[in-house]
Amino acid sequence: MFALRRWWTRHALKAGMVTLAVSSAWLLRASDGALIYEAYNWLTRPLQPGLSREQQFENSYILELQQRIVELENQNRSLQTMADYEAAAVQEGVRAAVIGRAADHWWQQVVLNRGSRQGVAVGHVVTGPGGLIGRVIAVSPSTSRVLLISDPTSRVGAKVSRSRAMGVVRGQSNNRVVIEFFEKLPDVKTGDVIVTSSYSRLFPRDIPIGRIESIDLTKSPAPEAVIQLSSPLSILEWAMVHPFEPQETVDAPVLPGATPENGVVPEAGEARP
Amino acid sequence: MTSVARVSSLPIWRQPWAVNSMVTAASVLVCLLLLPSRIPGMELLGVAPHWLLIWVVAWSIKRNQWQGAMAGLVLGLLQDAMTAPHPTHTLSLIVVGVLTARLQKQRYLQEDIVSVALIVFAMAVIAETVLALQISFNQLVSAESLYPPLGSIWLYHQRIALSSAILSSLWAPALYYPLNRWWDRYSSDA
Repeated sequence: MFALRRWWTRHALKAGMVTLAVSSAWLLRASDGALIYEAYNWLTRPLQPGLSREQQFENSYILELQQRIVELENQNRSLQTMADYEAAAVQEGVRAAVIGRAADHWWQQVVLNRGSRQGVAVGHVVTGPGGLIGRVIAVSPSTSRVLLISDPTSRVGAKVSRSRAMGVVRGQSNNRVVIEFFEKLPDVKTGDVIVTSSYSRLFPRDIPIGRIESIDLTKSPAPEAVIQLSSPLSILEWAMVHPFEPQETVDAPVLPGATPENGVVPEAGEARP
Repeated sequence: MTSVARVSSLPIWRQPWAVNSMVTAASVLVCLLLLPSRIPGMELLGVAPHWLLIWVVAWSIKRNQWQGAMAGLVLGLLQDAMTAPHPTHTLSLIVVGVLTARLQKQRYLQEDIVSVALIVFAMAVIAETVLALQISFNQLVSAESLYPPLGSIWLYHQRIALSSAILSSLWAPALYYPLNRWWDRYSSDA
């Protein structure tokens, strides 16, 4: 008892400091670092890009429009044979500036300067000049964190706009993504436009992703193609956040061994908060 | 005796230990705020310096391994907060803190900035390796792992370990020098 008391009088301050440091770090972790990102947003406010910088992305916009036209033409063709056609799934969103990147080298994330106060929530879809960028994985009152589609843990259900061949787009952590096809011999050629598929649970359909750069049909277990993304992820300054309700619980059975889409295991809810 | 009386009569926010903890916490905050930024000149192949690692090395270099491990734990939790809790950064930063403290630099090496830069270089490689090991382990064990195959994990590891090590060691003196000066002054005061 005496030894304990002596230890306490000698080390009380140190022990208190250690407990304080560990518990506050834990609290910040539990809140996804919201406080730090709020401070970061406040500090970088003078450096955030102004609206005039948008002109730099004109080329990307043109590319996006071209790809949308290709997609619309294909839709038109299928519309003539189809009677029941749904309206487009993408809603108007909030414009946000990119104010930061991932706080670590292994993740491909960006930080946007719009948060829950502007109506952004986890699961919303983010597009940029050129097409799909990713989805929101964490929000604080005035910032949000986006998992880019180039992240290795990201999965997006996609299709070839011309031939409707389906596949999954996987990130490669270096600003390149690959699409893995479901069929053994997909109808695909270099230059084809890739858009999100209507079977995607986390993304609305028909958002342009990019163009096929090269194809490897001999790849095992599934044929693969490298996609050149149409949005310049590494120099991104602006993005649009679109409200979207991800369908995380589906009635259809999930095949054992099937890759869950973009970090979400259907049984467990979200794999990465 | 008089100095002790004078010190304890100060209000709590002006006592040396309080000032020291505030300066220390503020330096951690600065590191945290630098993490998501990509300032031109601080970036190589999209990789920025690992500020928290530099901080842990600067802290552990003149302390024992328990203090090093504690700093690694706290800063690792903070980095988890800013990215994602899996794979955890606590493990890599604890390893860095313990190893740096075990080096016993002041006993064998001369006090200079070049040796600190070298230590940071080695520790950055070790920290990225610990993370890559965690990811590979997850990839091997879990059937539903979302990570790419082992080959591409380690190819990516090579690239970021090298660029992170080069950048962090070049920027290490910028953080180490003022922090070390401050802690030296505090320990000579106390």
